[in-house]
Amino acid sequence: MQPADRVEKRRFVGREFLLWLWFESEAFEATLSTRIQSTFGLWIEKHLVLSVGKEATRIKGTFPAGSREAKEALALGKLPEAAGLHLSWGDREVTFTLKAETMALSGLVLPTVLGDEAEAPALLETNRRPKKGKKESAKVEEERVSDERHEAFYERMTLTREVEALVEALYSEFLVLRLSDTWNSVVAPMLGAWVQGEEIEADAYRKARDAALSASRRGASASVNRRRARRP
Amino acid sequence: MPALKGSLSYTRLFVDGDLPKNFRDQFTKSIRLRAMKPLEPDEEALERAGWCVIGEPFDVELDYENVFYNEYLNLGYRTDKWMIPSALLRAKVREAEAAQLGRKGRERLSRQEKTELKETVVKRLRKQLAPVTRVVDLSWSLDEGVVRFFSQSERAVLAMSDLFHRTLGMKLVPEAPYTLAARLGLSKAAETAWQALEATSLAVEA
Repeated sequence: MQPADRVEKRRFVGREFLLWLWFESEAFEATLSTRIQSTFGLWIEKHLVLSVGKEATRIKGTFPAGSREAKEALALGKLPEAAGLHLSWGDREVTFTLKAETMALSGLVLPTVLGDEAEAPALLETNRRPKKGKKESAKVEEERVSDERHEAFYERMTLTREVEALVEALYSEFLVLRLSDTWNSVVAPMLGAWVQGEEIEADAYRKARDAALSASRRGASASVNRRRARRP
Repeated sequence: MPALKGSLSYTRLFVDGDLPKNFRDQFTKSIRLRAMKPLEPDEEALERAGWCVIGEPFDVELDYENVFYNEYLNLGYRTDKWMIPSALLRAKVREAEAAQLGRKGRERLSRQEKTELKETVVKRLRKQLAPVTRVVDLSWSLDEGVVRFFSQSERAVLAMSDLFHRTLGMKLVPEAPYTLAARLGLSKAAETAWQALEATSLAVEA
């Protein structure tokens, strides 16, 4: 397979990832976990777009994944194209849209404390400063603005990277399942039953999922040990 | 200025290749060479793209301090484009044609004369109007090798990637399920499984 085909012909994996997030969120009542974050909240909110070819179903609402229309769209062979996600970990909450085929985040609202809000008090502070030479005070002001801009930027990037790290950790675990035999033997049949309205057997799913993840970790460490043993 | 305030919508791109030695000095020089040069009314060019200071579309003095934010390289990708409203252009061309016909005492102008007249009108209007400026923030996280480009327009991503390559000599690969999987690390077995993947169908047969 050509490298470009690995990208273009497998974009559906992003859609299946969104489907899996939806399934996990429903199975575990919106409380998920990964290797990097013990527990965190994740659920679909505000909007969900499902499509196949040019046919799309767009659902808006507080809990779009819970609507009958959403499951009906899955039963028609549509898969999620984009979904509004709510992510909550530690004392942080963010919302964003995840686009399946590009894995791109949009409308990411961060819980920042610097930036816009910091401007008002900073201006008052400037007015209270004792008068200095014009050139000197202009330079000081320039440096202050530059420092504030840098600080706000670092804060935003740190939070963005935290969100991306969580999404990547989830994707990494999804890949282990998706590329293992467990997908076809356990997950796909469960997804099929879920689409038809059956209750998710959360415990059975968790057991199969955890076994696949543990096997993958054991495989990874065995491969590291083999590489180490081969070293002169 | 999404990188600095407001909600974030962006495309992630991976930088293909390793950073050269002394990249900070080298990149600062290369970026300065591709700093945005404003369009002039008499120029032929309709559109131009170049770099500016992040968050400051009209500041093209790209110094080390306003490009490098510790482990990030930040820029504004600016495009300027002449956009003359077509109704205004038509009206001004008609006016100019009428004036020329009056001056020459003729009833018709040749195609060549009409084209030249239109060019003159366009240049005159450009002196009265300003080009439309668009800026998209870009932040390259040097330690991750990831560029966050704050637009999801495919056209803008392609155009920026081209300028990025011409400026810094490095190619950008847009994020996709496969590129992310590869970056997270696919074992040989996983790579084989990836190639054999078939989409899961949940369609219920009627």
